[in-house]
Amino acid sequence: MLKMTHLSKVYRTEVVETYALRDFNIDVKEGEFVAVMGPSGSGKTTFLTIAGLLESFTGGEYLLDGADVSGLGDNARSKIRNEKIGFVFQSFNLIPDLNVHDNVEVPLRYRGMKSAERQQRIKESLERVGLASRMKHYPAELSGGQQQRVAIARALAGSPRLLLADEPTGNLDTQMARGVMELLEEIHREGATIVMVTHDPELAARAQRSVHIIDGQAVDIAEEPRFHAQPRRVEVAAEGGAG
Amino acid sequence: MQIQPILAALRQHKAGTVLIALQIALTLAIVCNALFIIHQRVTHLSEPTGIDEANLFVIGNQWADQSSAQQVDAQMQADLATLRQLPAVRDATASNSYPLVGGGWDDFITMTPDQVQKTTDASVYFGDTHFLDTLGLKLIAGRNFRPDEVAPMSPHEVVTPPVVIVTRALADKLYPDGSALGKSFYAMSATPTTIIGIVARLQRSEVDTWSRPYAYQALIWPRRLDGTVGTNYIVRAKPGQLEAAMREAKQGLIAQNRMRIIDPKDGVLSFAQVRHRAYDSDRGTAILMGIICAVLLVITGAGIIGLTSFWVGQRRKQIGIRRALGATQRDILHYFQTENLLIAGAGVALGAILAVGLNLWMMKQLAMDRMSLLYVLAGVVVLLLLGQGAVFAPALRASRVSPVEATRTV
Ligand SMILES: Nc1ncnc2c1ncn2[C@@H]1O[C@H](COP(=O)(O)OP(=O)(O)OP(=O)(O)O)[C@@H](O)[C@H]1O
Ligand SMILES: [Mg+2]
Repeated sequence: MLKMTHLSKVYRTEVVETYALRDFNIDVKEGEFVAVMGPSGSGKTTFLTIAGLLESFTGGEYLLDGADVSGLGDNARSKIRNEKIGFVFQSFNLIPDLNVHDNVEVPLRYRGMKSAERQQRIKESLERVGLASRMKHYPAELSGGQQQRVAIARALAGSPRLLLADEPTGNLDTQMARGVMELLEEIHREGATIVMVTHDPELAARAQRSVHIIDGQAVDIAEEPRFHAQPRRVEVAAEGGAG
Repeated sequence: MQIQPILAALRQHKAGTVLIALQIALTLAIVCNALFIIHQRVTHLSEPTGIDEANLFVIGNQWADQSSAQQVDAQMQADLATLRQLPAVRDATASNSYPLVGGGWDDFITMTPDQVQKTTDASVYFGDTHFLDTLGLKLIAGRNFRPDEVAPMSPHEVVTPPVVIVTRALADKLYPDGSALGKSFYAMSATPTTIIGIVARLQRSEVDTWSRPYAYQALIWPRRLDGTVGTNYIVRAKPGQLEAAMREAKQGLIAQNRMRIIDPKDGVLSFAQVRHRAYDSDRGTAILMGIICAVLLVITGAGIIGLTSFWVGQRRKQIGIRRALGATQRDILHYFQTENLLIAGAGVALGAILAVGLNLWMMKQLAMDRMSLLYVLAGVVVLLLLGQGAVFAPALRASRVSPVEATRTV
């Protein structure tokens, strides 16, 4: 699904060059749930923005769904973001001027979807996150956990194959974090590929695999193929860890 | 394509939206009325008066001593004789006023002595047998006054002279079938006056808006006005000798009798100067209106640029989010263009109503004419284009916001 080899990303300012990623290698298979961890400033967000085609990279190769994306123009990248990728951010990133319904509708409109289908999908995805009754609410009228669930609904509405989440629970308390995490696991079970950056080892432990980014380089540390078999235990552990 | 969500988002920015829409509305209302006024003012700036403007000049003459009406009349006759003998002068006459001077007499015209409502209005000139030749008026029917028809007249006299020369515009107004010559009318008196001559064109003495419908309705009474309070001499120079004639005339009059006052600054005016002065306020109004329009348009354009730039800055993050969710640069550009079109659309809709309202108000209060809706249409187009022009640069900047902005935590 997502394969980067010898990828590098350099931020150049007038005085310094920062290697946010160097000789970065990662291979995320279709349907995987990968947790990304690492110290602050190590390049986790940089990796996600490149993976999500929000930003270009400096060197190396990136294959998304088997296709090289380095030569794509802005419109093609927008189209891929719109159709294949869902984003969930730490700060929710809802559009404050739009109510819940209109927020979820944004990517669907950019896809040029017909109104009837849009309404159908908005309803479904909001029902899924348990917020169908809040369609007319504005983001400021919702709790953090609710906002993040709207953001997830927005990412889900377009049925993306790849969900990129940057510390989706970073701004949430334990209980809300657990709700969001369960939602992501559910989405994953339905077949989406998920890459989630988190600082929380408990949450990371619930992914199939953890990748550590240190100084712009990825270090694969664990595989937990039996995750699906024991969801309850992991959940209890997560709760205990926080309490 | 996405009008509904843009409107929804605008509802969260009511103050800015309403302010800009109102600004556009007011600008439209003022600009179309101003353009209308400018157009009206400048069109008649160059309308011909019907007189030989190139060779004419006027002398404003005041007396330095107190004399009786008879003495003044005799002095004026002597003055005119002097003027007519000057080498550079073709002819001269005295009158109460002349075209474009800015004020004068006006008679209500009726067809019967007891008519309550006037039939029309006419500007009044007094003239002797030299009046037509001096002004260079073209007699198209009938004859000039005979010397025996010209008599002195006091300004308080209410007796209407038995004969009159009228302009074609007045003749046609009174007798639309073209039979005016030899017919008569009443000019605020019980006795009729008979049309003995018709001149092609002679503009009235004032240029105010109210008189514009009657601009070329004038009549000439065969009278020498009582000149005790001062008089105007109208002098026609021989072709190409205007300046010499103006110099000679002043010297000649002073040599004839020193007991007079001719203002050194504007006592002697060429007709070109008279025309310039007459339309001074019109020209000034037109220029002022033009400046107001330009300033308003600039302010409105700047307001749109300012507000959109502010909004783009304020919405960088959400632009990034939209880009992350799949908006192309073009989508973002269109978003701001559509948003501006919606605001400007509301503005011009309100502005069109205000524009017509302002015109109606001015028609009532200031006797303005009715403005053609074409001005409103032109204003609407101008303001919509202004809006799109003003919004383009900030919208382009918005479209260049990187999708990575979505990940920046504010
Ligand atoms: N736009 C930028 N310009 C310059 N340097 C940048 C830019 N964005 C990131 N960097 C640098 O790249 C490096 C990696 O940043 P990144 O945001 O990917 O870290 P992170 O792992 O997500 O950190 P955190 O856990 O704090 O979110 C840092 O040194 C950062 O300063
Ligand atoms: Mg980060």
